[in-house]
Amino acid sequence: MIARLFARFVRLPPASTALALAVLFCLRPDFSAGQEPPLNALIDQQISSALAAKGITPAGSSGDAEFLRRLYLDLTGTIPTLGEAKAFLDDPSSIKRQQLIERLLNSREFARQMQRVFDVVLMERRPANRIPQAPWEEYLRQSFAANKPWDQLVREILAADGAEGALRPAARFYLDREGEPNVLARDVGRLLLGRDMQCAQCHDHPLVDDYLQADYFGLFAFFNRGFVFTPKQKDQPVLYAEKAEGDVAFKSVFVAGATDQPTRPHLPGQKELDEPQFEKGQEYSVAPADGVRPVPKYSRRAQLAALLPRTDTTAFKRNIANRLWALLMGRGLVQPLDMDHGGNLSSHPELLVLLAERFAVMKFDVKVFLREIALSQAYQRASELPTGVEALPPESYAVAQLKPLSPEQLGLAVLQATGIADAHRISLGPALNEQTLHERIAGSLAPFVNTFAGQAGQPEQDFQATLEQVLFVSNGAVLRSWIAPSAGNLADRLNKLPEPSAVAEELYLCVFTRRPTPEEVADVTSYLQNRAHDRPVALQECIWALVASDEFRFNH
Amino acid sequence: MPFPKTTETLMSDRNYACQSPEHRISRRSLLAGLLGGSLGTGLVDAGLGHIAGLSHLIRPAVAGELAARQKRVLVFFMAGGLSQLESWDPKPGTDTGGPFRAIPTSVPGVHISELLPYTAQQMHRLSLVRSVNTKEDDHGKGAIFIETGRRDMPGQRFPTLGSAVSRLLAPAGAALPGYVHIQPGGAGVNKADAAFLGPKFASISIDNGKPPADLLRPDGLSPAADLTRNELRRKANQRFTARRRTADTEAYGYSYDQALQLMERADVFDVTKEPAAEQERYGSHDFGRHCLLARRLLEQGMTCVKVSHSNYDTHFENFDFHIEQLGEFDRPFATLIDDLAQRGMLETTLVLVISEFGRTPNINPGLGRDHWGSAWSVAMAGCGIQKGAVIGKTNDNGTAVAEREVDGRHLFHTYLAALGLDPKENYPNLNRPIPIGDPAGEKINELLA
Repeated sequence: MIARLFARFVRLPPASTALALAVLFCLRPDFSAGQEPPLNALIDQQISSALAAKGITPAGSSGDAEFLRRLYLDLTGTIPTLGEAKAFLDDPSSIKRQQLIERLLNSREFARQMQRVFDVVLMERRPANRIPQAPWEEYLRQSFAANKPWDQLVREILAADGAEGALRPAARFYLDREGEPNVLARDVGRLLLGRDMQCAQCHDHPLVDDYLQADYFGLFAFFNRGFVFTPKQKDQPVLYAEKAEGDVAFKSVFVAGATDQPTRPHLPGQKELDEPQFEKGQEYSVAPADGVRPVPKYSRRAQLAALLPRTDTTAFKRNIANRLWALLMGRGLVQPLDMDHGGNLSSHPELLVLLAERFAVMKFDVKVFLREIALSQAYQRASELPTGVEALPPESYAVAQLKPLSPEQLGLAVLQATGIADAHRISLGPALNEQTLHERIAGSLAPFVNTFAGQAGQPEQDFQATLEQVLFVSNGAVLRSWIAPSAGNLADRLNKLPEPSAVAEELYLCVFTRRPTPEEVADVTSYLQNRAHDRPVALQECIWALVASDEFRFNH
Repeated sequence: MPFPKTTETLMSDRNYACQSPEHRISRRSLLAGLLGGSLGTGLVDAGLGHIAGLSHLIRPAVAGELAARQKRVLVFFMAGGLSQLESWDPKPGTDTGGPFRAIPTSVPGVHISELLPYTAQQMHRLSLVRSVNTKEDDHGKGAIFIETGRRDMPGQRFPTLGSAVSRLLAPAGAALPGYVHIQPGGAGVNKADAAFLGPKFASISIDNGKPPADLLRPDGLSPAADLTRNELRRKANQRFTARRRTADTEAYGYSYDQALQLMERADVFDVTKEPAAEQERYGSHDFGRHCLLARRLLEQGMTCVKVSHSNYDTHFENFDFHIEQLGEFDRPFATLIDDLAQRGMLETTLVLVISEFGRTPNINPGLGRDHWGSAWSVAMAGCGIQKGAVIGKTNDNGTAVAEREVDGRHLFHTYLAALGLDPKENYPNLNRPIPIGDPAGEKINELLA
């Protein structure tokens, strides 16, 4: 009944109103916590007070088109269809942004996008030698579809040995690093704790005071007993196994005459673990033998899985809060994302502490956390500098950051912009759903990943524009075939529109997710008028020019 | 269609948050290239001449001038493990020496293997390091050590010399890629080379005569159409970046202009465009053509060219195979050294002849020599390197280093110092502090000019 009353007031159908109420319910002040404002308001308080302290006036809110494209790319990894774009832009509702956030967060496409994002975060495009890519991706996708808490996901991954059927794909983290303890020590440090301690392998980090060799080897010690076990029978799965013995000691190459210092496993800055002692011959529950995977009674790996992904592990909370923030905001509060230490101060230290704490209080709920960020003014700011302002420091969040599209986002966006995705939708007919469409187009992303991604196993570099990439876009066969008219794609549809203003409108909505300005309409009109003799070719040039432009390449 | 604004306003000196001088310099160098270059007639006829412009690439005088100022690297990678006993450090008449003699060279007192007669005549331009002990006899790890200056350690990956130099020395406005690897059947980008520097500084593999993938315009796309659509693109970019310009949008938009320049001169990768007489001097076999292509690319201002020659992994029939391999290598290599010197390019080009390791003094039952990292040689020439020097010695039969032992770390430091760079510094503008050379390495001072 409330919904009906409300519906009369805001002129929405009851179903949408129910959604709207749900949205408003989420935005309500949290009275149960003593009238504390929601996280999105706290985010804005922190950002705004920092701006005020520096005398910086932030940009205003983004226009609807900019917000629409940004949110779709961030939460679903691609741009909206023509129909979706028009529906949002023409919707008069004052709460349409909140509704869109809700709808996208609850979509299958969101889970798919989180799968892609965290596949790259956790595996950095390493080849799938031991665990095939498909089951690993499905494991991630299902985890995000079920809104599995982040700490639980990490726990599953760190505990995985590949033996248990449903959780076997989680062992990709270990197995496709070949169980190599140095690689694991570095990557667990970087990806799960936000600290790149590579240089602390041979000595205390010469330039970062917080990264000690003792901490490197404390992490290393969780992995030194692990190894990849290959069973004798070919059809049996490869596993990540662990011995019951193997001690770790280290010494600095900088200190002459240093002696070996033994260490037991420990998280950075924490105490060494007390480990049980067993009588000789009693250390294993399954003793090692030829072709038999040993199972020790005490597992260092299991200890790591229990200790690392917890509220008490500050670095764990900070790392994920920072990475999720960077995903939406374009830059971490600590930047680079894996260089969190005392000498590399966060741009907003209190805010990062707040986000880390709150994420833990939310029980590491990724969806709720992202919703709060998306609801903030800081996220929804325009990307254009306010008039009279020449430059704003990116770490101020006074203006929205340009984020280069990831290789997958770029591929998906080009598929959508050129209308190839639309053609697939049409041909799928009644069988169309997120899964079937994904299966159709997933393979098309490979050339984008090959061309636009960095080296596997390396931290993500700053944006680069390489010769290979520009030649792929300019002369490559893939884009040419997508832009050329084929049944149902953009060029095909534009060929059938005689009116240049209609052409301009559809072109800009499909490629840039916005309507053209009057100047842009005039340009398209005169361009086509001059090319009446080869209009289809001219149309393809227009499509290409927009796809190859900065506005397309960057998420703004 | 309304004429777009000139390149000057496109490349105006806007501020953006990065504020780095590198970006402004690169704009100016493109500007000079675009406005100063002359144009193909086709483009002028299309009335679009003022738009794309062509770079200095097609003006040999300017190319030569540029080549003279800029530093370059030329790496000969002898894949498989070149035998030092059959090349730089022969031990004739010993239990390990094998059948070949040593011959005098253009440097009195210095002898090398009789398998390198032409190279021997260039010895006054080369220097040798005979005391390399990398303790590495694995192909992959050996290659990594000699090329990156650091031992292969799990979880760590460092850039090869070519990528490092491409990053540190290649002019930001250059249309040519910074680092090209010439190898038979080569294609694609070798991202591993660049490690954390990013794929922009990776080597691009090319086969002789074939340019990098997609460099040539596809059929059905005329140069005029390409220019028109790029004008539309630029116009869209102008509008978008009017109040949003960043270093990234600049770099992205600019990369298209660089590619257009390169497309106009796609034949820089085609060695058959060199005069017939030159092609004959270098020879019609693969390696000969690769050497000529290397010269062509270096003349046009490419920063690093790596030429692979294989296969030296002579576990069997070591002596016969080295006759063949070095027979292919000797004359074009010597010709190239001589040509670089004659053209005044040797002073600014660092030349290396390296391998993963050497070969065992012990001759195995298959008349082969096996992997040997304990006492082997590399050769260098050019920029910053002594002429005619021999650093270090092995013992009488080459079974151990006798004097001045060095390894991959020292060599890498030396390569960089020869180019005027400081290997003890961190890479500039990187998002984490990483020293260019292994901190435990030192340059070989007596090798540096």
